[in-house]
Amino acid sequence: MIQQVDREILDHMIDPKNYGSMEDPDAIGIGENPQNGEKVIVYLKVDDAGEAPRIASIRFQAIGCMTTVVAGSIITEEARELAFPQAEEMISVALGMLENVPPEEAACSEMVALALQAAMDTWHARRENPEIPALVYKIENTCVTKEETAKENG
Amino acid sequence: MKRLLQKTHEAWLATQMAAFMARNTESKRWLNEAAMILWRHFTWIEHEMVVRGIEYDYDRETIPIKVERLSVMIADLNRRYGEIELLLGASEDAALKERIAHDLEYLRFAAGRLPDETVRAFSMERRYKDLDLGKEATDALTLFLFEESYKEYELILIYNYLRAHNDDTFLDRIFGILIDESFFHLRSFGEMMAEMGILGVPRVVHESLYKVESLERFLLDGIDEEIAAKEQCRELSQAVAAESEELAKFFDFINNQENYHIALMKEAVEHYRAEGR
Repeated sequence: MIQQVDREILDHMIDPKNYGSMEDPDAIGIGENPQNGEKVIVYLKVDDAGEAPRIASIRFQAIGCMTTVVAGSIITEEARELAFPQAEEMISVALGMLENVPPEEAACSEMVALALQAAMDTWHARRENPEIPALVYKIENTCVTKEETAKENG
Repeated sequence: MKRLLQKTHEAWLATQMAAFMARNTESKRWLNEAAMILWRHFTWIEHEMVVRGIEYDYDRETIPIKVERLSVMIADLNRRYGEIELLLGASEDAALKERIAHDLEYLRFAAGRLPDETVRAFSMERRYKDLDLGKEATDALTLFLFEESYKEYELILIYNYLRAHNDDTFLDRIFGILIDESFFHLRSFGEMMAEMGILGVPRVVHESLYKVESLERFLLDGIDEEIAAKEQCRELSQAVAAESEELAKFFDFINNQENYHIALMKEAVEHYRAEGR
């Protein structure tokens, strides 16, 4: 959950980067919160000409809150043009950083990172089987705060 | 037809955004009316697609609105209206085509006569009128406006899609009321965003949200969301009360309006169950 709105966050709120669907993507990946059905869908165009596949173009859509949209805007902007190994490293660093963040604040970013990972894994899997559907990875963090859980449980 | 629907959707939203950014009272009134005319075109085109069995969604392009002068936005609106005119050939409804063509011709004429003005809706000042709300309350208000302006746009599209595919008069009445209510909330929040210099176009709504698998589930989840929105309004009202009685009263007013939405949605669930669907 966004606690403070600075200029950079505001820019992403007003104009989320890479937001929207993509025509004929090479791969789609989905990050999902099994507790409330929120999800992030990442679409990739992949450049396979080099040594490692590279993200040529990336878009995302979010069924979730503004924090998820901001996280999607930041992470997809970072991932643009990266080779898959670099993108995976970025995801690993991001997920590592989230370990020190309260779960309800980490959930949105985790959902975006997992959607990106799922999209890259879908791309790999489709090379073996082009019919394979988009992979869906579920998050471990929850965006429901302890206070909200306590309230719901009476 | 799909492109005609999409471009009409974009023109409606762009015109609504122009209405938010206009400060001249007459320009604002005219642009709001123009947006509602385009919204009606959108629903009529959609109806023809439903009748003809044409599959569609509410996907659209990004709509750039960050301008320094209203005349730049008006020029873009006129380009959009012209584009729709060129796409009208896809419709098989002669009366509808004629109606839309005449409307667009007038919209282009009248939009071109609106006085120019400097746009302040993107100043990023985050100041509502002359109030000094403090950082915490300003951040909370900013987040609320972004979340809820999107939510109202989403609800307009969801209820509109459900309405377009519904033949039950009881539900049609409820969906109609909820669409009208969301329009009022969207306009209220959009005006506040423009006043604070943080106007943004709501993001594209994902297809899975309006092509609902279970109407009952959607309504029950919607009731929970309305209850959460009430709580947000209550918190926001408290946060701004010390600085602004006007804003606090406004959020109490929105909070109380949600009660009726919840009651209508409960009625819809009961009716849906009673019909044995």
